[in-house]
Amino acid sequence: MIRLLRRRSLSCDEIMEVLQGYLDGEVDAKTARRVAAHLDACDGCATETDVYRRLKDSLAHVPTETVDPEIMDRLQDFSRRVIDGEMS
Amino acid sequence: MIERRRSPEPAADPAAGGPPPDQAALFERHVVPELPLLYRAARRLTPSNAEAEDLVQDTLLRAFRSVHRFDGRHPRAWLLTIMRNANINRARKKRPDLLDDPDLTFERDQRFADGETPEATVLHDAFDAVVEDAFARLDEPFRAVVELVDLQGRSYAEAAEALDVPVGTVMSRLHRARRRIRAELTDAGVDGPHSLGRATAVERLGGE
Repeated sequence: MIRLLRRRSLSCDEIMEVLQGYLDGEVDAKTARRVAAHLDACDGCATETDVYRRLKDSLAHVPTETVDPEIMDRLQDFSRRVIDGEMS
Repeated sequence: MIERRRSPEPAADPAAGGPPPDQAALFERHVVPELPLLYRAARRLTPSNAEAEDLVQDTLLRAFRSVHRFDGRHPRAWLLTIMRNANINRARKKRPDLLDDPDLTFERDQRFADGETPEATVLHDAFDAVVEDAFARLDEPFRAVVELVDLQGRSYAEAAEALDVPVGTVMSRLHRARRRIRAELTDAGVDGPHSLGRATAVERLGGE
């Protein structure tokens, strides 16, 4: 569990240090409250938090299969023909 | 200026002033490197690999015709917008009655009523496609940690045990991986409020 020992309010740099752990539920309750208080008052950190929250959500649903190399080869070939004017 | 429609974009006219944009070079620079991303995005929009491939080809043709007018910023967002428009046209060709389908109209209206503009819809798709592409290109140690924590929802301690590494290593790999993906979102121009489903301050002030 990640814990910040400093007592004063957190700076933006300190927020960025613990932001990932905060989003993953890996900080202790007291640190989580301090991070939340900072995010309430700081638009910049709140926006950054939104980006990472959305990123995490997107990753949670990401397909893990790789793209078939044959398909990529065909698309490369098609691109070459577009460039060469064969498709116009 | 009279705008010609429904005809292929003409090649740049050197007499119009300045050197003609090299369509092929611009296409090579801005479009060809994005083929994997385009295919992944197309798979999100179509029900089969074959249709996804067709949609990418359609997108490539459209991109080639207009690449000389592209300003070079955010090529991924530009390409994904072209793809979305191409997909809408394909759907209309297949089913001309599509726009009159009450279910689809309802779904579309609901989405926009929830505050999602057509631009936001494009950027939502773009955001997910960029994340998917960046994830697929992560080096294996970073990918493995992201898979365990973000895809499988495991704790840092569980991921560390599964990979037989210290928790600190899990944290540093995970954070580096996310920062890298986040940087690609910035490069693609899809990390703004529209992509996040949040209204901008201007929109909030503007009311309905």
